[in-house]
Amino acid sequence: MDEHPVRLVVDDDLERTRLTVFFRLILAVPHLIWVTLWTIAVVVVAICNWVATLVAGRPPRPLHRFLCAYTRYTVQLSAYLHLVVNPYPPFLGETGEYEVDLRLPAPAAQPRWKTLIRIVLALPALLLSSVLGGSGGPVLNARGNAALRSYSSGGGALSGFCAFLGWFATVVTGRMPRGLRDAAAYGVGYGGQSLAYLLLITDRYPSSDPTAMLRDFEPPPPHEVHLVGDAHDLRRSRLTVFFRLPLAIPHLVWLALWTIAAILVGIVNWFATLFAGTPPLVFHRFLSAYVRYSLHVNAFLYLAANPFPGFVGERYPLDLVLPAQPQRQNRWKTGFRIVLAVPAGIVDTALGWALFVAAVWTWFVALLTGSAPWGLRNLSAYALRYGAQLNAYVFLVTERYPHASPLEGYEPEP
Amino acid sequence: MSRRAAGGVVAAAAVWAIAGWLLWRSSLPSGGLPHVDVHSLVSPATLRRADRYSAWARRLWLGSTAAQLVALGVYARIGTRWTRESAAGPIGTGMLLGMLGFALVWAAQLPFAVLTVWWRRDNELGGSYLDATVGNWLALGVEFVFLCVALAIVMGLARSRVGERWWIAAAPCFVGLSLLFAFVSPWLLGGRALDSSDLRAATARLEQVEHVRHVPVRVLDGFDEPNAFATGLGPSRRVFLWSPIVEPPFTHRQIRVVIAHELGHLAHGHIWKSLGWYALFAFPGAFLLALATRRRGGMREPAAVPLSLLVLVVLGLVALPLQNLVTRRMEAEADWSALRATHDPAAARRLFANFVGATLSDPDPPAWDYVLLENHPTLLQRAELARLYAERRR
Repeated sequence: MDEHPVRLVVDDDLERTRLTVFFRLILAVPHLIWVTLWTIAVVVVAICNWVATLVAGRPPRPLHRFLCAYTRYTVQLSAYLHLVVNPYPPFLGETGEYEVDLRLPAPAAQPRWKTLIRIVLALPALLLSSVLGGSGGPVLNARGNAALRSYSSGGGALSGFCAFLGWFATVVTGRMPRGLRDAAAYGVGYGGQSLAYLLLITDRYPSSDPTAMLRDFEPPPPHEVHLVGDAHDLRRSRLTVFFRLPLAIPHLVWLALWTIAAILVGIVNWFATLFAGTPPLVFHRFLSAYVRYSLHVNAFLYLAANPFPGFVGERYPLDLVLPAQPQRQNRWKTGFRIVLAVPAGIVDTALGWALFVAAVWTWFVALLTGSAPWGLRNLSAYALRYGAQLNAYVFLVTERYPHASPLEGYEPEP
Repeated sequence: MSRRAAGGVVAAAAVWAIAGWLLWRSSLPSGGLPHVDVHSLVSPATLRRADRYSAWARRLWLGSTAAQLVALGVYARIGTRWTRESAAGPIGTGMLLGMLGFALVWAAQLPFAVLTVWWRRDNELGGSYLDATVGNWLALGVEFVFLCVALAIVMGLARSRVGERWWIAAAPCFVGLSLLFAFVSPWLLGGRALDSSDLRAATARLEQVEHVRHVPVRVLDGFDEPNAFATGLGPSRRVFLWSPIVEPPFTHRQIRVVIAHELGHLAHGHIWKSLGWYALFAFPGAFLLALATRRRGGMREPAAVPLSLLVLVVLGLVALPLQNLVTRRMEAEADWSALRATHDPAAARRLFANFVGATLSDPDPPAWDYVLLENHPTLLQRAELARLYAERRR
């Protein structure tokens, strides 16, 4: 797949200054005032640019440059607010001056019909951006009118939650956890692409593929709970897509029953692990099967995979690898497992929203084209993988904490 | 067929016939019903409306049924192609094929469902397009759960040591599930208590007269039409009234008749009898299903599922006249029980007349409609039964 013309480049060593992190929001106040003023100007410029692009077939260079600077600046500010980088950002959004850069294309010819309905076309991306974390841009006002109210400092759930959790970690350790940084950067980058699309900087639709967005990032070490399967199997049966929700209901009922059993077994397993230091094999197998089945059902429901899954954990195209044998676990970590899982649960909540939005858009696209979009499929796989890792962690199938990086488990194509 | 097998068939048929005779017995009076002129029951204008409404409602039913048969006929031929959309093993694949068959029936019947709502609204009977489209799409999920359970039982048995004789084991399973459902469902329905203290007192008196132990009467909101039903077994027995029946034009006297009718069902053990009839139909039905799907490898194979849906629907249509015969008899017995408990044939007659206006049911439908669609006696027949009671009382 060819590279997206809007690219996020991050040069970050994860080191943070505790003082600036502690006061991050207050330090950003001058930027927030500045970006609000800039946004007012951008509204006017964006409308002029839209008219000019409609007439000329390509954006005028000065307007394009102005909008590029604005987009880059909002991404840099958003990255700063979400703790993706450490230094204080510049005010002018110039390229090459900051650790976070948004590489933007030169003005190019754009189909007029796409320009005409750009705001409509951009709505799905903006909605997804609002759950992933945006770099700013237009915000619907309280009455739902598409009027520009103010700059959005990236109210997206994923980036916001990662920044919230990262703030505590960074204040204590002076270092931003890589998983949270990567997840926040992904949200910020997607927001930047969405804004660039809305402002006619490019006519290329934003890509929600996290692996493409973070191409230049170093992938984290592989987690012992990870996805396997053919990621490129994007074919979707239109009939089963149309009826996906009702088709999944028998599985959801079965999963609910299984969940009750898993919770009961999980409690017994918790006591057993606290006592023996290792989960009993029979519980480990049962809970591993539950975690796998849960992934299969969610992959089917959220259109990350095509076939109808089995009820007893048969092989599935999007499958999960789990530790085959129970491992010795630290009793302290076991004792406080539920409390320790809370931060991951917060990230999982944000990813759950993203998964839902991705599934809704995939539903429409798959009905029309008979295949799932690559980017949305990968976003769904990311969210499902994280959820499965959290499940495995909570049920003591593994002691490894879920890794929030979208790149976890990603194997670059040869 | 060996002599032993033939003997077995004859014995089974004899048991079936005896059980059927026992279930058929009723406290209904013998002899014919006195004539009631339909024009004396409802006004000419209401009669015209009911005629017009029912005529089109019947056509819509015919269209919807034809669409269902065509969809399932086509699906029986090509349905197996969706096997590749499953990673679920044979039973799970059978479930998927079963659900897709139901889904296609929903799609085929959708235009008729929408037209039915339009026709009802045109006749001021209410109805929701959202319920008929999106609501039914979501309701498919509940149907799918039951379908999956049924297919899991049938295919599980067919793949077990029971093999081709799965139907002998499956029929009792389904009867057991029906029993469980009949027992549990009243608690799931909820509802609110009757507002009127008069009606509550009247219900207590009717319970004594009809020799029924205390049965809660609950009102269910959210319905457009007047209706009522009794359900439950033992401690779960309940009478449910749809809210329009406790509102004008229905008077307290008429509501008493309705409650007495429903208590009549319970007094005569109609829920148990219905389960008995279900059991009587379940065995031959399951056997015919096993027979019809044999060419596709039997119910152990997912490929047989699309055909089995068609067979089930056809069997259901064939059994419809017989089922309606049974239910009409039970309803008539409940009417008679209500008349004996309330001694108020005038209220019963007025109630049936109001039903015509409120539901636009044809009080005297054509013969084919009566045989295929009417699971209650016609409103005219019910009025005639009320008249018979009045004449006998004199």
